[in-house]
Amino acid sequence: MIKQLFPIRHVIGYLASLVLSAAALVVIYGDLSDAANMTVLLITAIIQASLQLFVFMHIGESADTKKELYINIGYALFVGLITIFGTLFIFVWGWYA
Amino acid sequence: MDLEKFKVHGEPLIYGAMISIALATIGILVGLTYFKKWGYLWREWLTTVDHKRIGVMYIIAALLMLFRGGVDAMMMRLQTAAPEMKFLDAQHYNEVFTTHGLIMILFMAMPFIIGLMNVIIPLQIGARDVAFPRLNAISFWLFFMGAMLLNISFVIGGSPDAGWSAYFPLASLEFSPTVGNNYYSLALQISGIGTLMTGVNFIVTILKMRAPGMTLMKMPMFTWSVLITNIIIVFAFPVLTVALALMMFDRLFGSQFFTMANGGMDMLWANLFWVWGHPEVYIVILPAFGIYSEIIATFSKKNLYGYTSMVFSMVIISLLSFVVWAHHFYTMGQGVMVNSFFSITTMAIAVPTGVKIFNWLFTLRKGRITFTTPMLYTLAFIPIFTIGGVTGVMLAMASADYQYHNTMFLVAHFHYVLIPGAVFAVIAGFHYWFPKVFGFRLNDRIGKHAFWWIAISFNVTFFPMFFLGLMGMTRRTYTYSEESGFGPLNMLSFVGAVGLAIGFVILVYNIYWSTRYAPRDTTGDPWDGRTLEWATHSPIPAYNFAVIPKVESRDPFWESKRKNIPLYEDKITKIHLPNNTGKPFILGVIFFFLGFFLVFSMWIPAIVAGVGIIIMLAVMSFERDHGFYISAEEVAATEKKLRGETV
Amino acid sequence: MKIDASKPLEYSTEENSNKIFGFWVFLGAEIPLFATLFTVYFVMVNRFADGPSGPELFEIGPVLAETFLLLTSSFTIGLAVHAMRLGYKKATLVFMGITLLMGLAFIGIEIDEFFTYVHEGATLQTSGFLSSLFVLLGTHGAHVSFGFLWGVAIMIQLWREGISPATANKTFIFSLFWHFLDVVWIFIFSFVYLKGLM
Repeated sequence: MIKQLFPIRHVIGYLASLVLSAAALVVIYGDLSDAANMTVLLITAIIQASLQLFVFMHIGESADTKKELYINIGYALFVGLITIFGTLFIFVWGWYA
Repeated sequence: MDLEKFKVHGEPLIYGAMISIALATIGILVGLTYFKKWGYLWREWLTTVDHKRIGVMYIIAALLMLFRGGVDAMMMRLQTAAPEMKFLDAQHYNEVFTTHGLIMILFMAMPFIIGLMNVIIPLQIGARDVAFPRLNAISFWLFFMGAMLLNISFVIGGSPDAGWSAYFPLASLEFSPTVGNNYYSLALQISGIGTLMTGVNFIVTILKMRAPGMTLMKMPMFTWSVLITNIIIVFAFPVLTVALALMMFDRLFGSQFFTMANGGMDMLWANLFWVWGHPEVYIVILPAFGIYSEIIATFSKKNLYGYTSMVFSMVIISLLSFVVWAHHFYTMGQGVMVNSFFSITTMAIAVPTGVKIFNWLFTLRKGRITFTTPMLYTLAFIPIFTIGGVTGVMLAMASADYQYHNTMFLVAHFHYVLIPGAVFAVIAGFHYWFPKVFGFRLNDRIGKHAFWWIAISFNVTFFPMFFLGLMGMTRRTYTYSEESGFGPLNMLSFVGAVGLAIGFVILVYNIYWSTRYAPRDTTGDPWDGRTLEWATHSPIPAYNFAVIPKVESRDPFWESKRKNIPLYEDKITKIHLPNNTGKPFILGVIFFFLGFFLVFSMWIPAIVAGVGIIIMLAVMSFERDHGFYISAEEVAATEKKLRGETV
Repeated sequence: MKIDASKPLEYSTEENSNKIFGFWVFLGAEIPLFATLFTVYFVMVNRFADGPSGPELFEIGPVLAETFLLLTSSFTIGLAVHAMRLGYKKATLVFMGITLLMGLAFIGIEIDEFFTYVHEGATLQTSGFLSSLFVLLGTHGAHVSFGFLWGVAIMIQLWREGISPATANKTFIFSLFWHFLDVVWIFIFSFVYLKGLM
């Protein structure tokens, strides 16, 4: 029963997300450069988000909508990232100095 | 409570508007009671979940808003027709150009397009309804209540007056202390939520509910354009949602997003507004491209030239539309690098658009063209829109834009894009699909009269504005001196506006005339159409298709007529349809009150309305409504009757 | 209603699988929504005027507790869906209940955090930075709160009706929503708190 209710994929996914969250704390307690810190944050966050998407949300489980769902998330990320980085480009990096 | 803030003071014009709104409301109420139409209205329209009826309601709302926005436009043209006019004062002029822009884009062009897609898309893909009929009704009522909320601002509390783009700091509490911009943030928010849900609904409908055999690359071009449009809606509207929420926080709760002090950043508003605003342009223009593609193919009796390149150019436009927004504020202070980047992406959009123009021209080539009213609008669109596009490329050049920025040149440009690119399209689509919905065509002769009035007057109105802009007349100025020399061209523009108004009056008269006298169409296919919407009866039965058609080509109905391929192979079986429900309407009404109370910072009533919304959502979650079935016999009988046979 | 037995119950009718697909599209819309809030935050992060800055304000303790709660609740809602697919109504309800309780605890900590901020003189009105912080966190928190109410409504229906195509569909869609909130939190945790404390 217990084994049935706690599938190994989910347990590993959960433990991995805890480990990754803990690992990200290195940016506070460690002594890395700012660039290295940002890299750590990006990597841990992206892996964790993917864990949720693939392991918990089963994005690929339905064959007839798999492709559409990937395009959907891809398009959303495109717009989201363009908004974030485009705006930073306008107001921070590319501001008239 | 302080009743003073509800009042709008000022001119006879506003009192006139109040009285006419009150009289119209009383007239409608009395009429409904006298003719005992309350039950009819409730049962057949307010509670409907039928995509066709919802579509018709969208279009009626859009036509009403076209009238309101058109009156605004006339007032502006009259005020500027001659130097030092005293028709409107500066404040009133500000309100009029603000509501003109808002209403025409958000409450006329968008609902008109959403109305057409509601009516046509399920028919074109051979489906019985949209994926989520109830959600569709909620979308409509949220849109409608948002539109009403904006419209009452004119007489209760005062209209927004900081331009349709509501730039900060002008739109902040400090510089716009009336409730006008509260209305702006809440009315747009409410209707925007409705639009977002429309987007979700139609993406699912088009991707999941097509008739068997209709692969993506066999979809009609209008369906393709609507799919792309809804994808843009789904990803662009959340940005507006956030921007409007931040505006509301600034104005109602004193946050510091767009303020001038305490770390606020007024320019961020312009940025967010256009992150949404530029894709919004394509939201209204892409479906127009789809409508034109259908009309050109039908009235040239040819299949659409370059189908694949049409699809890809729309996909590319949809992606590019998200990376050009900074071209709306080249002069704001960002560096050369930024302006160069956005300048290049903007010009790049001309490429896929050009591809489409050439595809239409090649479709026309060697076609057997019939010059019907919808076809005339389409043919007029091509050259006029090209002028709009080319002046757009002029504006896209950042360094040159410093000269045109905020002048009448810009006003001329976007009217040259949006009127042929959206208004002509919805009018053409309206004429084209009218017989499908109502079972008779609009009179072609009167329609052509209206067309010539509209097409010629449009150019008379807006072409002079290019020159006014180059002469240095800035937009949104309510008056000018005689020495400026702007007078004659503005007078010409006013004359054009009068012509446009006459054209629209003829158009409305045509609806009246045709309703009374036009011969009924019994074939369901008055134009010798190509796509599935013409393969069912007009007016359309509630279930759309008695039997779901089988599709084998891009123009299934045309092929089936020419080559005698049967569209319907299955036998008639019982058909499942959703029940009507009044809850979407009630939800819309509560949203209206929530918006109204928030506009006036009436917190307790607003909280009550908010709780009401949560209760409605819970009620809808707990409800189990499995719809109803029409029996096969009943369907067969209806079909016979629609074919004109005796039962 | 045609039920396709080859698919899990929550996908089993056309309406059901359309709803799941539609909800994914809606989540697709939530991505630019939160991206815009992050955009505002990133632009505002150094515009704290006379108010406190991020590093002066943030404390890692409550944030870690919040993170742990949300990660675990995301795990348990996954287990709830898993149990539901096996047909265990009671286990589904228990896992869902745990999820919602952790959600409630999360909201409690967040509200406490907001009170602490306000107590330290950091309000919505203080600076551009704080406005953007409160609205970003608040929008996420509002999603969690709404999710709590929604989840309770679904639990009542599950308890009353058992695992049916309708309730299974609702539960599954709710789980997508809850996982998504966790994804958003991961980015708040990383790029608001950790980056702020870096």
